[in-house]
Order: sequence, then C-alpha cells, then structure tokens
Amino acid sequence: MIERWALVSGLCGDLDLYERIQSDLKKQRDIADLFVLGDLIGPDRNCDALLMRLRQPKRGDLQPNCIYGWWEEQLLVDYGYRGDQKPDVCNDPDGATTMRHLREAVSQEHLNWLSSLQFGFIELDCGLIHGSSADVGVPLQETTSPLILLDRLTRLDVNRLFTARSGRQFRLQLTGGQIQSKVKDHAREGQSNQAVPKRSVIGIGSGANYTVYNPASDHIKFLSVAGRSGRSNLGFG
Amino acid sequence: MQQIWLITGPPGCGKTNWIRETLLNHGGSCAYLRLDGTSHDGLELGHNAGIDRSWLMDQIPQLEDWSEPTSDSQLSSSDRFVLIEAQQFSAPKPSADGPDPEIKQQLDRFNLTHNRMLHFGVDPELPKQDTLDFTRLEAWHLDLQGCVWDPNSLSSFWFELVNGAYGDMYRAKALMNMPDGRSFFCNWMVSQSGSQFLPLQSVVPPTGRPRRRSHLVIQGKDLIPSGIESTINDCLLSDDVLELQQAPLRDQQSNLQPTF
Amino acid sequence: MAHAVISCLHANLAAFEAVLDDIDQQGIKTITCLGDLVGYGPQPNEVVELVRQRAIPTCQGCWDEDIIDGLNACECSYPSQLAERRGHQAHHWTANCLTDDNKAFLAQLPTTLRRDKLLFVHGSPNSQHEYLLPDMNAFAALERVETAGAETLFCGHTHQPYVRELSGGSIRVSVQQSGSEPAREQEMTLPMCRIVNAGSVGEPRHGSTKATYVVHDDVSGEVSIREVNYDVAKTCQAIVEAGLPEVFAWRLSHGFEYAGAPKMPAMCASDD
Repeated sequence: MIERWALVSGLCGDLDLYERIQSDLKKQRDIADLFVLGDLIGPDRNCDALLMRLRQPKRGDLQPNCIYGWWEEQLLVDYGYRGDQKPDVCNDPDGATTMRHLREAVSQEHLNWLSSLQFGFIELDCGLIHGSSADVGVPLQETTSPLILLDRLTRLDVNRLFTARSGRQFRLQLTGGQIQSKVKDHAREGQSNQAVPKRSVIGIGSGANYTVYNPASDHIKFLSVAGRSGRSNLGFG
Repeated sequence: MQQIWLITGPPGCGKTNWIRETLLNHGGSCAYLRLDGTSHDGLELGHNAGIDRSWLMDQIPQLEDWSEPTSDSQLSSSDRFVLIEAQQFSAPKPSADGPDPEIKQQLDRFNLTHNRMLHFGVDPELPKQDTLDFTRLEAWHLDLQGCVWDPNSLSSFWFELVNGAYGDMYRAKALMNMPDGRSFFCNWMVSQSGSQFLPLQSVVPPTGRPRRRSHLVIQGKDLIPSGIESTINDCLLSDDVLELQQAPLRDQQSNLQPTF
Repeated sequence: MAHAVISCLHANLAAFEAVLDDIDQQGIKTITCLGDLVGYGPQPNEVVELVRQRAIPTCQGCWDEDIIDGLNACECSYPSQLAERRGHQAHHWTANCLTDDNKAFLAQLPTTLRRDKLLFVHGSPNSQHEYLLPDMNAFAALERVETAGAETLFCGHTHQPYVRELSGGSIRVSVQQSGSEPAREQEMTLPMCRIVNAGSVGEPRHGSTKATYVVHDDVSGEVSIREVNYDVAKTCQAIVEAGLPEVFAWRLSHGFEYAGAPKMPAMCASDD
C-alpha cells in the first residue's frame, strides 16, 4: 500500500518547530515518508541542534529525506563548494552581515553533509525540489506564467512538481490547451499538434505550513502546526 | 566412416558461417581445422589469427580443435564430421586432381586425407555468394590480446573502417573485448549489406584484461595502417578507465542473489 | 529587408568564402553569425580574421567559449572516448594555433545579439551548450523564445537547419489555494513565435556536404534555407597539411560530423 508523504520546508534551524511538526505527523494516519525541501538552515538562529536531529533522528521520528535549498546554496557557495561564485545574498545591502550570521549559525562539521544533499528527488513521477527546475533560488507560485510552469515540469519530466521556495500553499493544475508546430528543413515540411499534459505544480508552504500528499489518490492536504485547516482538502480522496 | 571435408573459397564468401551452421545441424562429434590459404600474385592472404577457430569453438561446445596435430585427436571415429577450411582465391581447375599443392602439403603435415572437397562459387551444395573480381589485395592485421574497447568508440571505428576511411576495404573480421567481459565477433564483407556483431557465448568476469584471443584482420586496397592504429589507440580503455567501468559491474554481480 | 544568418563555421575557410559569395550575389548587406568560428577545422585564424574584416556581428559559440576558458570549462559531453580524444586534440591544436589577437576577439563576443524582436544565440537563450532540436517539446521551445522576449529566435549548434513555427497555442489552468475558496480557472493564450536554425557553414550534418545558412526577410517574415556547394577537397587538403587527423578530412568529405556518434549499434545491449 502506498503511504502518504509529508512535505516540509523552511525550518531555518528551528528545532522546536521541527519537533512540533513531527508530533503533528505522528497523530495522522499512514504518513510514512517525510521530505524536507531545503532551507534547513538560516541566519537567524543557531542551526546545529536541528542539523544533528535531521542527521541522526530520534527514535520515533519520521526519517527525514532532505534536499538543499537556497540558504544551503548560499553557505556552500561561500565556503567554495561551488567553484568561484559569490553568494547571491551578498548582492543585498546587508548581504555581508547576513552571510556572517549564516556562517556563525552552522558549525563547519555539517558542511560535508550539506554538500552531499541533492537538488531534488524524483519519486513516483513526482519532482520534489526547493525552487524551480532551472534554479534553486527561483520561486514558482500560482501567479507564475503557466508556460514557465509547464516548462519546469517538462525539464524534470514529471507529472507533479512540489516546490517550496515561494512559501505559498497552492495547487495549480494544467487542465487543457494545445499548440501547433510546423517544421520545415532543407528536404521536407511537417506539422503536428501537441496537447498540454494534465500536470500540476504544488506549493507546499514553508515553516509552520506544510503539506501532506497521497500519491495513490493524488489527494493534497494543506496543513499548519498552529492548527489543522478546515476544508482545504484537494483531490479525489 | 569419418567424414573429412575440405571447404575452400575466397575471403569473405561465407566459409565459416556455412561451417558453423553445418556443424550445428550435425549435432554430433565434430572437429575443425583452418589451414593457411593459397598464395596468389598481388593478393595478400588474411592472417590466420585464429579468429574463426575461436568463434566456432565458442558456438559449438563439442567441437574439437585440430590445429595442433596429435595422434589422439585423429583417431578415426565413425560419426565424426571434420571440416577443414582454407582461403583460396581462385576456383580449382576442372582438370585438377586433388587440392591445390600448398593445401595438400598442409594436409599431409596433419596426416589428413579428405573425402570431399567443395569450393564456394563452384559446388552447388554451398550457398551462392557474390565474390568480387580483384587483381590486387593487401592484408593487414593487429593483435589485440588484452585490449578492451570503449563500446561506442568501437562502433565509430568499425563504421569508419568498413566505409573506407582507412582504405578500400574488402573484408574485415575481428574478435573484440568489451569492459563487461563480453567478446564480439565482428564480421564484414564488401558484398554484404551491414556488419555482423555476434556476441560470444562465453563471458569472462569483469576483472581486468581478459586473456582470450582478440585480433583484427582486414583485406583491401590502399590500406592506411597508421591511421587505423592511431584510431584504435584512441578507442582502447586504459587501466584506470577500465577499472572505473568494471568496479561497479563487480559490485552488481556480488549483490545478485543465487538462483536455484 | 532580407538579412542572412550563418553559424558554426568551424575554421572552414573555403566553405565560409563560398557562403559569403552566395550572400553577396543576392545583394544582402546584413549578416549575423551565431558563433563557433573555430573548432576541428584547419583555418581558425583565417576564418576569424575574415569575420572581423567583414565586421559581421557575431555571438559566442560553445567552441569559441571553450577555447578561451580551457578544456576544464567545457560542458560538452562526447558520445564516445574516441570522439572525446579527437575533440581534445582539435581543442589543443586550435588553442595553440590561434593568435592572441584572435583569441581576444573571441573572448569579447557577446552570448546573445538582439535586433528588435529578433534574438540571435548559438545554442539557446539559456546556454551555448543547449541544443534546440526541431522535435523538442513544443511548449518548452516556445518558452525559450518567449522568456527571452523575442518573436523569432535564430540559433545554431545542431548543424541541421530548420524553421519551426509555433502557433495557435493556449494553456488552461485551475488554481486552488489553502482555504475554502473554489478553484479559479484561467486561460493563457500563447503568442506565435519562430525558431530558425541556420545549420552549419563549416561542418554540415544534414546529410550533405553543402554548407547551409538562412535568409530571413524581416518584412514578409519569409525564411529560406540556403545550401551552397564549396570546394570540400580544398579544406580536406588543408586538414592534412595542418597535421590534423586525416580521418577529419574523410568525415568532412562524407558529410559526417567530426566527433560523430556511432552509426551502428553499440555493443551495449544484451545478446539478440
């Protein structure tokens, strides 16, 4: 039996928040997999305790499957794990201060583990990423051009794309449409129509807002540790 | 009574293929011997590198190899079927009594007398093949013992070879080793469309360089051996790269559960 | 008014001169080049200098970039070890042969050129190394053009010329957010756009040895693919005289790419 997934992001070093989410998940049925879609760290608090907990879960914890997000990318770039680049955050007016806080928030013993995290997961025809398929730092949201959303789905060749960077909880379903393509080369001409595939992009939220997904029924629940939402159940479950 | 047939024909006419099919149909005790071919002015023989012998012995497990003359192997056996192959450019003259003297000499050395002699292009029992007229043929060969190919590079090289990048090719055949332990019999003849790439039954473990026979033999005109060797060098895997490719294969094999 | 777009010259002077003659004979004054002036071919300096002499606006190709940035920066993936070794050999030869002045010229080439709603790139607006193939997902192809703010995208890199028109497009979506509001339906109408691949002057891969380029009329919108004969033997001789692998000459004279993919099944599948 395929069990449900919990999708979380934006913990930013908050161990207390993580424990509340774990406790919330224990009270729900059939949640077997926990995915943490990046931004495990942040510059605003010491992140070591959370990182230790993610790397060595306590008995009873749902085992977290983590990918890197924007803050992890800033830290790894700063420490030279990505070649000669400069962290994007340094372009901000307070960028230098923010980077200093980020470095102070994460002990260097965690760097190798953070650098081992993947860009995303592909599970059961679903892509699980932090930002967009093209860039970890670019948010996808319900107001993003459908053409771009479709392209980002196509790049990973998945039917469902779960993203966290925008911090928003939404489900955008591609429900129809088509395009005509005419190609001419030196020898021949041809024409074809392509239909928009039935795919979805799901914003999972961030911080206290998280998402539970049932891959078997395609049912989505947008939740928050502050309290369960009333009628936010989406899908066919 | 033991049947000993002598099969002759020009290079690439299909002697070995016919021998393989005939012995598989026979199914019983059998033996094979490839003699050096007959010389002819301007027409160089393809080197007898043992490619055909290795290929046939891989395909027919009960096949005896008579390339080393021993008195034991030649004890007459009533149902043994012995096929002797030799390259011979021109058909035997109708008036000739017996095989070409160069072949006869080799048969005598092996203490063999054939019951029957068949030549491709003459005898109707053998398939009709298009054999080309030629007045000049060069030959070249390369021992590839211990060499292992990058598979996609071999495809590129073979394509170049048979399409004339290194001279006008008439005939090309080879036994080539792959990093996963397989070996391929590569076979091409100018009159046929397409090449054959036939995997050998026996596969060696992916633990370094295999010790079995590997060779390339070609015949053609205006051959460019330096170009061929240069390309081959770029296709062969170094020790480091071979180990990189074989290590995961060994891990996969050690993780496989035994089946009963 | 008609303008010409050329691409992938690959240091093939005879082909480049033949194409320029063909363009000049049509009275076309505006030419844009999509890069890869050098790579594999025997006359990199001559080709670069002719581009400079004719003041042809040019964007930087993947080979131009790799000669400047070095082999370690190369994002190319080769289809075989043989292709990779030959590519590296050609890279080293070209890097040693090019004058510093011509290298400086390649280094300052922009990655894209724009003229009104026309965009000129080597590979795609995203990367010099991305192939825009004629059968790629139509919506993804449209996204490349639309996101770059263009109506017609000229590209090269594949060495196979084509003109692709994408039209009549729309996407319908339904959006649900957390909370109890019903889903919102929306429809986006997609603009018409075109992708024009100029093929290759110096290393054609469309099944013929003729150099290819395109002519676009920016008033009528018509695009024609031009094929031009040139003295292939002259370039082959130059390859041999330059000390480049002679098999490059054989490949060029037969219309095969220099670092070709295998044409016969690789020995990778299980027995069949």
